[in-house]
Amino acid sequence: MGRKLLLDKANVEGIRHYDVYRREGGYRSVEKALKTMSPDQVVEEVKKSGLRGRGGAGFPSGMKWSFLAKPEGVPRYLVCNADESEPGTFKDRYLMEFIPHLLIEGMITASYALGSNRSYIYIRGEYWWVKEILEQAIQEARNAGWLGKNILGSGFDCDIFVQPGAGAYICGEETALLESLEGKRGNPRIKPPFPAVKGLWGCPTVVNNVETIAAVVPIVNEGGDEYAKIGIGKSTGTKLISACGNVVKPGVYEIEMNISVEEFIYSDEYCGGIANGKKLKACIPGGSSVPILPANLLLKTAKGETRMMTYESLSDGGFATGSMMGSGGFIVLDEDQCVVRHTYTLARFYRHESCGQCSPCREGTGWMEKILRNIETGKGKMSDIELLWDIQRKIEGNTICPLGDAAAWPVAAAIRHFRDEFEWHVMHPEEAQTSNYGLAQYASPLAPAE
Amino acid sequence: MKFSEQQLAEVKALIAHYPEGKQKSALIPLLHMVQKENAGWLSAEAMDYVASLLGIEPIEVYEVATFYTMFNLQPVGKHIFEVCQTGPCMLRGSDELIAHIRSKLNIGPGETTADGMFTLKLVECLGACGYAPMMQLGANYREHLTIEKVDAMIEKAMQGEAI
Repeated sequence: MGRKLLLDKANVEGIRHYDVYRREGGYRSVEKALKTMSPDQVVEEVKKSGLRGRGGAGFPSGMKWSFLAKPEGVPRYLVCNADESEPGTFKDRYLMEFIPHLLIEGMITASYALGSNRSYIYIRGEYWWVKEILEQAIQEARNAGWLGKNILGSGFDCDIFVQPGAGAYICGEETALLESLEGKRGNPRIKPPFPAVKGLWGCPTVVNNVETIAAVVPIVNEGGDEYAKIGIGKSTGTKLISACGNVVKPGVYEIEMNISVEEFIYSDEYCGGIANGKKLKACIPGGSSVPILPANLLLKTAKGETRMMTYESLSDGGFATGSMMGSGGFIVLDEDQCVVRHTYTLARFYRHESCGQCSPCREGTGWMEKILRNIETGKGKMSDIELLWDIQRKIEGNTICPLGDAAAWPVAAAIRHFRDEFEWHVMHPEEAQTSNYGLAQYASPLAPAE
Repeated sequence: MKFSEQQLAEVKALIAHYPEGKQKSALIPLLHMVQKENAGWLSAEAMDYVASLLGIEPIEVYEVATFYTMFNLQPVGKHIFEVCQTGPCMLRGSDELIAHIRSKLNIGPGETTADGMFTLKLVECLGACGYAPMMQLGANYREHLTIEKVDAMIEKAMQGEAI
């Protein structure tokens, strides 16, 4: 069993409530930070921990914190990004729903480190009941003296508010999130200036993912060096992975970043193998935006090494033969699944979620969706595959925010690794409606025998 | 439309979440409140009322209301089935589920049954991929759906029971 730092207490009866959470050792990080550490010392521990942003980008969190501008007399803000919307990702919801005080505790400790007296949790509007759970936890924490004025006599004031979104994937992009929090459309801002300099209402702001902020609790409690001992290389600590698709046990798992992809999929401790005795065909290991990999490249890198559940190993081989850790949204496709159809649903998603500011994304996502629908429904031409490739290439890198890249990558990877499946759709328009291309050469050597 | 004294107190408490002069930030939470009050959708009148509460121009409300998918700009049925159709749900049978609901209720996406009971909305990823297929129903999720479960929900609703 791997160590759990975030979800170890998630199954304790009543942990959603303050009394139980406190009895189980909750809010120790706030006591330790406010009574024995300076804000800069907290930042230093986060730097030492090697914690990387858990929302998808994997940027070192301590470094992000140290970029925060601190002009005299200007408020600073911590904003928690709980707009979890990347297809395949549902880990933050699990954490907030079952152990909400962990996020509140992390918010208070992080707010102290950053000097934020008014912090926000921006949560997607569809998670309405989770918003209510968080508000209840905040009220309990306030009643117990962990929020408000002069917390623990430290002179530090802090309040936390939960802000709902209203259905927009783009608001997970940090500058779009800030626009939305200001009561506007979620159109991403041009960077620079970065939020660390000019964020919420023009003030210096740090935007961190739910899991990132929760990880501050064990880091402060046990020290950054202890945290950094878990994992491999620059992939320190534990990571929440939300597994979905055709596995026996979909769900949220906290893993130490030192296990193999094979163990994660086939071990009974995690996904328990492919559902219904099927074979593994492909997997998108880090949320819908990251490249899909066929089974053979998923389990082993192109160099023949065992692929591990770490930032480095998952991206080994670059986009040619690798993928990304991303948000930890682990989408598994079995042998009966159609890669063209799956890619089409993702293209439709990105078209729906494009904010419409940048032409390559606004026009390109709709165009890709249309072509993919044609191929999937037997109306495609061979030249469409080249056209798709050309469109995705012209979106990538040519937009204000990364949604353009996120829309381009899944299409590019599907063509890169499954081109023959696209061609089969074009050559067998009738058959493509009723049957499936199958496994071809992508079969996993580890799949159970027929 | 007009809020009660108690609702106005809620609005005041909400505006206090933000620094002085930044009350526009209350716009999205307020639109949720007003939509709930207005039978699940935002009429021009409802949006204008929100503008007056925040002291902003009506256009500032319209441009936000039209951006976010949770805001309904037309009347909706009593029960809104917001069924997820994105990849992870598709892998676990959402296509078949949606086809079943469409034929059972005899409506297409975005439409409402003639009796005003049901609206079908096809939505993109709601963050419940591990519990697919699923739908949002009001403020809650219905997960691990099957055709039988959906039929039972429709049946109950038709008999006037809460679902």
